[in-house]
Amino acid sequence: MQREIKQQIERLQAAGATYVDARWYPFEEANFLMMWNGNLKNTTSTRESGMGVRVLYKGAWGFSASSDLSSLNALFDKAFDNARIAAERVTFPIRLAEKDAIQAAFESPCKINPFEVPLAEKVAFLKEMDEKMNQAGVFQRRGDLTFMRKKIVFIDSEGSEIEKLITEVFATLEVSGVDEQGVTHERKFRLNKTADTRGWESIDRRIFSENAERIVKEMNEVLKAEPCPKEDRSVILLPGIMFLQTHETIGHALELDRILGYELAFAGGSFVTLDDFGSLRYGSEKLTARADATLPNTPGSFGFDDDGVPAQNNVLIDKGILVGAITGRQMVEEANAKARKQIFQGSGGTNRANAFYRVPIERMTNINIDPGSDGTLEDIIKNTEKGIIMDGDRSWSIGSNREQFHFATEIAWLVEDGQVKQVVKNPTYKGATVKFWNSLSAVGDQSTWQMQYVDNCGKGQPNQIMQLGHGVPVCRFDQVRIGE
Amino acid sequence: MKEKILNILRDLRSYALKKGYEVTIFYHEEDSYLMRFANSAISLNTNEHLIRLEITAYVGNRRASYELITNLDKVDEMKQGIDVAAEMAQHAQPLNYQPTIPALTESFADESSFDPALAQISNEERLAFFNHAVAGLETEDIKLSGVFTNGANTIAQITTRSAHTQYFKTSDAQVTAVLAHSKLKWEVQSEQSAQEKSDLDPDLAHAELAFLLAKYQQSNSLQLPLGSYKIVFGAAATADMLNIMNWIGFSGGSLKRGFSFLNEAQVGQRVFSEKFSMVDDPSRRETFPFQYDLAGIERKPFKIFENGVFKGFTWYQDDADEFGATPTGHNVMHKSLVVGAGSQAVNSLEELVALPRTEDILYIPFLHYMNIVNPSKGIFTASSRFGALLLKKDGSVEVPFNVRVTQSLFDIFGDKLEWLSSATVAYNTSSSYGARNPTALIVPMFTCVNNLEISHSNTSY
Repeated sequence: MQREIKQQIERLQAAGATYVDARWYPFEEANFLMMWNGNLKNTTSTRESGMGVRVLYKGAWGFSASSDLSSLNALFDKAFDNARIAAERVTFPIRLAEKDAIQAAFESPCKINPFEVPLAEKVAFLKEMDEKMNQAGVFQRRGDLTFMRKKIVFIDSEGSEIEKLITEVFATLEVSGVDEQGVTHERKFRLNKTADTRGWESIDRRIFSENAERIVKEMNEVLKAEPCPKEDRSVILLPGIMFLQTHETIGHALELDRILGYELAFAGGSFVTLDDFGSLRYGSEKLTARADATLPNTPGSFGFDDDGVPAQNNVLIDKGILVGAITGRQMVEEANAKARKQIFQGSGGTNRANAFYRVPIERMTNINIDPGSDGTLEDIIKNTEKGIIMDGDRSWSIGSNREQFHFATEIAWLVEDGQVKQVVKNPTYKGATVKFWNSLSAVGDQSTWQMQYVDNCGKGQPNQIMQLGHGVPVCRFDQVRIGE
Repeated sequence: MKEKILNILRDLRSYALKKGYEVTIFYHEEDSYLMRFANSAISLNTNEHLIRLEITAYVGNRRASYELITNLDKVDEMKQGIDVAAEMAQHAQPLNYQPTIPALTESFADESSFDPALAQISNEERLAFFNHAVAGLETEDIKLSGVFTNGANTIAQITTRSAHTQYFKTSDAQVTAVLAHSKLKWEVQSEQSAQEKSDLDPDLAHAELAFLLAKYQQSNSLQLPLGSYKIVFGAAATADMLNIMNWIGFSGGSLKRGFSFLNEAQVGQRVFSEKFSMVDDPSRRETFPFQYDLAGIERKPFKIFENGVFKGFTWYQDDADEFGATPTGHNVMHKSLVVGAGSQAVNSLEELVALPRTEDILYIPFLHYMNIVNPSKGIFTASSRFGALLLKKDGSVEVPFNVRVTQSLFDIFGDKLEWLSSATVAYNTSSSYGARNPTALIVPMFTCVNNLEISHSNTSY
């Protein structure tokens, strides 16, 4: 197949294409199990294979995909035809940042292939967790397991040939209960990084059992709690909500295609402009954020992106100042040209597609906040006069330019004079992005830092669901409006 | 092609029966085209032709599914998929209820919503639509974004319980044209839903964009003070809120799982304004309807709200099986929700702007990034986007920066509902997540609600 792909690429180059690549998926398989109140409601496996072809012609992209590889001629020709018509409406001819021709392979670290684990063993795990969550106060209990494994062969017209084998594991436990007013409250646990490999071995019964007990206990506390007050407080975000704050108001806001207006028809833009790089005080001096796709074992580490660029670790915000973006080959060239200066040195290696039939776009890798020097969670609490600790994503909504947000969390604990006080229910907080990050007053140390997994980030048209990660510490923000 | 597909399904059924399996076999084929615009250029031009086969196997009250992307000439691969599903079902945990295996009592085929001319619109025609829709409107600062997606969708099903088949074939197009100011960052939008090619109207798109563009270029902009406003929602905003209600309101499964703001005691009670009625009406072709559900139940108009009175929950087959309810013909990929027209004679944005008024009105055409804050209370939050206007009581128009609305659906469609427009529109809510599934709701063009709070107001666009 590789030889045939190369022949097709050469054929289109001879016909005038300036760049061609193909992503051949010999296979992509997934396995999803979901147990709800003891019922195995969903046991689904999927398998697909096919190829996506991207062609650059006279500064415009064409893309085509098919699971039918009996006629590569037709597939490549269709992609070329799509590029030809796109070339009739070009305002900034696409150029791709330089990269090396790479012949390499990448395999995500995995000890036990989850697709070789018997179904009965997976079901037994869910049953065990279901029984652990089946306690007083629990109205609904849910456990799910998601496994993905895909092989991707990337070949381009610049001499790159990369083979990747990626295994993903996601798991969630969730309970809900109903309070005296008839309002439902949820509490969940999502698998996050616990080791340097990610296969079936990630499904550690001890960790899940402990967390099953914890979420039941905390959910029951919420059921008896008073409502969250409506006022301004210091908000202490635990990693279970801090990851989403980072995702929505740093990650998406710093995707360079959004900044350049490529998502305005759907997902939205960004308040960030090209003039802001190097000068915008995005947050307080305690904020350093990075896009790090080099960490072992996270959904945001993939070896090479779908432009064939190696994974990188790039600073986005350095001590509060905006310095970088989430970038691929196309956008950095356009951004530098439009800014009339070299803001970006090259691709950040973040262009990814979620399937063979989707085109690569700029996606978050692991968008992380560096741990700080404000000690442990206990230290931060001790130094907080009037605060609230929040955890667990319940609802999130962000302005179209990522300029403002509203989050609801599953649980919160009030803090008074350095002491944790009572749990409150229906906690929410809201803010304006830059003001909020500039109110960052404490960043927890390494003991508070957790790598959280995200398996459902949506972006693009046609829409693509992507997997990624967020390594975040506990953070405190001052004068934040809560309870609305 | 139809007979080829159905014959393959019959062949697969025979294979399953021969092996002693109980299965449903669900076929989904899409031929999708998408042209995307950004910065006044075509940023992506793509197509995909995918055939998905989903096989669900049953062993007593055990159930498992296997889904593959395949081709019509790979019947052996499909048969292997049946074997895999059956093997998985053997090892699945028994459910504590008996899932219904659809037993289709008659064969049904519906191609009435398929217009080959729409399905096969060419690249050149897609481009021509946009060139026409924005002719003369783009400038160095005002750039076109948008998407034109069209295609054909084929769904077919057979089960081992009978030799009857279901076959649905639909064409659809969804068009969004956005003009955005690259420096000021405001955006105006025009959207269209097409079920046949003649539905497409680039002149209308041009007129809508030109009208909004003039307002945005000529009117004062402002940050709205926080507080209560009379708000008129456009069709997109209303459709989005109703989609949320479909999830956390009248779904029987959501009710039983504690994820609904309506309860069983409210059936037969008035929960919303008398002005609000909604029916699931599969006779409305603009909604890309299913005449039969996938459990084989013939679908008839199903009243959900009538003059504010809640008429009853809708039940998916599996939820009905689990909770002992009677299925209502809602085992479908989407409902055909139709909101009854109101009495306010306003048929366009121009007419709304010209409407005599005694107080300021905030017009919000579109709600961005809606999410559920508290399902038990029906509270959602979202931000305005794509062409909000402040219609001043003196007749003038200003352009507000985007605002956030955090409200209960009880407030929106309850006693605060002042009027619904007499004009309705099919609003396309198709998502491009996963398999193609053309979907539209019929909603009033405008929904006016009194005394709604805005909880955040941007300081700029």
